[in-house]
Amino acid sequence: MPDFDVIVAGGGHNGLVCAAYLAQAGQRVAVLERRAAVGGLAEVFPTAGRLQQTVIDDLDLPAHGLDLHRPDVRMVALREHGPALTFWADPKRTADGLRPIAPADADAYPRFDAHVRELAGFVAEVAASTPPRLDRASFADAAAGLRLARAYRRLGPRAARELTRVVPMPVADLVGEWFGDDSVRAALAARGTRFTAMGPWSAGTGLVLLADSAGNDGGAAGQTAFVRGGPSAFAGALTGAARVAGAEVRTGAEVVSVLTRDGRVEGVELSSGEQVTAAVVACAVDPKTALTRWLDPVLAGPRLRWRAGNIRTPGATARLDLALTGLPAFAGVDEAALGGRLLFAPGVDAVEQAFDAWKYGRVSEQPTIEATIPTLHDEGNGDGHRMSVLAQWVPYAAGPDEVAERVLAVLERLAPGFGGLVTSTAVLTPAGIEAEYGLSGGHLYHAEPALDQFYAWRPVIGLARHRMGVRGLYLCGAGAHPGGGITGGPGRNAAREILRDLRRAS
Amino acid sequence: MAERYDAIVIGGGHNGLVTAGYLARAGMRVCVLERRDVLGGAAVTEEIVPGYRFSVASYVVSLLRPEIVRDLELPRHGLEILPLDGTFTPLDGDYLWRVNDHARTLRELRRWSLADAEAYDEYGIAMAQMARFVKPILSAVPPDQGRIDPRQWLPLRTLGRSFAELPRRLKDAFIQLMTMSAADFLDQWFETDPLKATMSASGIIGTFQGVRSPGTAYVLLHHYMGEIDGAFRAWGIPRGGTGGVSLAIASAARSHGAEIRTEAEVARIDVRGGRATGVTLVSGEQLEADTVLSSADPRVTFQGLLEPGTLDPEFEADLARFKFRGSSGKVNLALDGLPEFTCLPGRGEHLRGAISFSPSVDYMERAYDDAKYGRFSARPYIDTIIPTLVDPAMAPPGKHVMSCFVQYAPYHLAGDDGWDDTAREAFGDTVIDTIAERAPNIRDLIVGRQVLTPLDIEQRIGLTEGNIFQGELSLEQLFFNRPVPGWARFRTPVDGLWICGSGAHPGGGLMGAPGRIAALELLRERGRRKGVRARL
Repeated sequence: MPDFDVIVAGGGHNGLVCAAYLAQAGQRVAVLERRAAVGGLAEVFPTAGRLQQTVIDDLDLPAHGLDLHRPDVRMVALREHGPALTFWADPKRTADGLRPIAPADADAYPRFDAHVRELAGFVAEVAASTPPRLDRASFADAAAGLRLARAYRRLGPRAARELTRVVPMPVADLVGEWFGDDSVRAALAARGTRFTAMGPWSAGTGLVLLADSAGNDGGAAGQTAFVRGGPSAFAGALTGAARVAGAEVRTGAEVVSVLTRDGRVEGVELSSGEQVTAAVVACAVDPKTALTRWLDPVLAGPRLRWRAGNIRTPGATARLDLALTGLPAFAGVDEAALGGRLLFAPGVDAVEQAFDAWKYGRVSEQPTIEATIPTLHDEGNGDGHRMSVLAQWVPYAAGPDEVAERVLAVLERLAPGFGGLVTSTAVLTPAGIEAEYGLSGGHLYHAEPALDQFYAWRPVIGLARHRMGVRGLYLCGAGAHPGGGITGGPGRNAAREILRDLRRAS
Repeated sequence: MAERYDAIVIGGGHNGLVTAGYLARAGMRVCVLERRDVLGGAAVTEEIVPGYRFSVASYVVSLLRPEIVRDLELPRHGLEILPLDGTFTPLDGDYLWRVNDHARTLRELRRWSLADAEAYDEYGIAMAQMARFVKPILSAVPPDQGRIDPRQWLPLRTLGRSFAELPRRLKDAFIQLMTMSAADFLDQWFETDPLKATMSASGIIGTFQGVRSPGTAYVLLHHYMGEIDGAFRAWGIPRGGTGGVSLAIASAARSHGAEIRTEAEVARIDVRGGRATGVTLVSGEQLEADTVLSSADPRVTFQGLLEPGTLDPEFEADLARFKFRGSSGKVNLALDGLPEFTCLPGRGEHLRGAISFSPSVDYMERAYDDAKYGRFSARPYIDTIIPTLVDPAMAPPGKHVMSCFVQYAPYHLAGDDGWDDTAREAFGDTVIDTIAERAPNIRDLIVGRQVLTPLDIEQRIGLTEGNIFQGELSLEQLFFNRPVPGWARFRTPVDGLWICGSGAHPGGGLMGAPGRIAALELLRERGRRKGVRARL
């Protein structure tokens, strides 16, 4: 008898979510994590605003210690010349704030917010479903297809047509259709390029914006939520949910290969040489790693290896962790607003230029920045604060010092005296993220969320249903549909598909 | 009493003429109205420098639908396509030269990369298979994606079925082509930079996108769909320039009884009771028709030719979002002799095909970067042909004409002056400089030059913002969103007014597909109406 029913290889949040769902369904599950702590990228992403409400409810995460704080402020667009623009949970309040700066945009904002909600609502339905088989649709596919068709119909003719237009659009064009002020446009457009290797003029960034707001009540400004106690508390809640349901969670257990016999999965081998057996292995790592490094090349075959090797994972985001002696003073940002996502995206073209620099392997003078101060949402930090910064677009091999210098220079311009508050700076470039978290290319979303790696062809066509082409091998990480970010979506969907197969087999 | 027709076609470009040809062939009484004194629209041949004749705008033909050639019997009406042999990419001290002779191309590629030479075959086959699969889309009438009307969707089910039956490898390729950037797509196959750059160029022609912009791979395929004499991926030039295509179509239409008038500029489309009843010419003359079909671009048709207030505000707002953004210019040169390239001196066959200034992917992308911020490219991508080498009649004996398609030249220039004479000449000089870097003798050969900026293309040919495709071929402006979501079936909110130009599905290029589908769809609807009447 195998050691476990299911091994989840990789203890990032999606791996833990997948394990918890499986354990709740009565499977004997082990999570194997290479690092000393589980949680993976939850350490890198400072906010958990995109975590799906269904996941929180299904796994009863609050009971396991998850304390999510959703501040009224969502996003603050910092500006060099003039006060910041604050985007609140309430679109009317946002509009009131925009009115003195851009009256026409203030009027448009609530309508745009409703528009994004409407379209993102459908994207959420797509995200929660498993993509169909494209060669031979099964009965289950037809049922899922009908559900989606009904949701599509509910949009009404006009919104349905808009959806087909917005999804493949450059986000710069989308916001250009609604707003006139460049800083308003840039603040919203930046949501369509968030953590990607695309600039605002790239086609398909419209979809990124919608996906960012799907299933989390995000609207135009996007959701913002902080986990009290930080990433370790978040990982703790997920681990708790998994363990209570009976899953075993091991750290320091590095998977080096997937064991197979007669074309089906038998377990995994660890770097220690230990073999752990199970008929099902769910990989929470990126698909390139799973398919090109873990899977037997003979079994994968040249065709799949070529395809997997070409999964696009262009890392372009760096993460900086700054220790501050006090709170920075940004123009037009009071303490309530300081608790939101602080965005520096000075203009659509300026953001595009930051992206241009990346294309040629340079770090822009004006990187696009999303900064947060998580310590504002926790008690008992004393006087010190921490600021977490995600900076785009940073080339894979950029020097950490150069990145820090560029980012701090921007922050200094926005909040004179900022440099004096900083007592330590830790930088992870994409290369650093790859080394630390094992992500190919250092891409935070495991694979670029572009139109060519989306839905029924994420990560590649034929493998979008979490099944990786070898009996018993599954993908439950962000490289699977519906994609990256702290959502829990891929973990949840993968667990559903694994259980479906296990039920069919028994 | 106004003259009365079954159908009036506004615009004597190739699409308008194709529509007229099909309608006349079906027995309708048709009149084509062309503003200029020459037919052809963007597919036009004109004598710009005395003795030198140019395909002023559109300069090669490959996409022209073979059905049209057959249905309208174009060869009988004078259409003759002369093949263009290969693509020559001059580089610093070297070159990349692909020709129609497959074995020679492979030998050349092996000089660059063994892996690329191997991938080249597989790539070509995959693209040809893809093109075959996609072809029916070029004849399909897009459904309205806002309604689930089986009458509109059922005709597409064969398409869905043939997709389901494609091997996974090709499904994969299809989805990648529809979504990826040309450069990313080619990266998967090839490593030679000039090869990728030159191939990716066909993905950006006429668009306001770069070779790294998602969605440009689709246009690669678009250019693989070219068929001449049934051979996939073959370019050619019509004898007598691209105007020759238009004149052949016009002749075919006339032979079926169509009336074609030049210097007949339409001032407005007459609408009575929400229905198009005819047109009024600038001269004041009025013509009546059951149906008016406009092959002008959507901006011209809906904003230029309809009385304000005819359309409902929602449609007008949707239309205002339709992007034109011309991105290319044209430089036509009259030459005293042939250019001599430093990297491959002599007057060899390498001059007989396309000469592509596309040395690297970064070069192409930088050319686009300039355009994004409102500048013409400091070093543009140039696609050059010398038609006189295959069609000597285009110039006096021993002389040559050279056609340079140039990208990028954005319609909207940064700064206040826009495209004035200074900017136009500076743009022309940049093109000459770029060519001269690789063929220094070009400067001494020029006896005349014509520089067309996007503004010139707009003013001369009537294409809004100088977009050669009557509207950007970007993903959100294709198929059921072209030109306006909900109105991609060639009909318009005005009863009796149809569109049949490149601004409609499936878009631009010297292809004729919009004109053909619009005509067939109109004939189908008339057939249906007659059927209903007969039953009553």
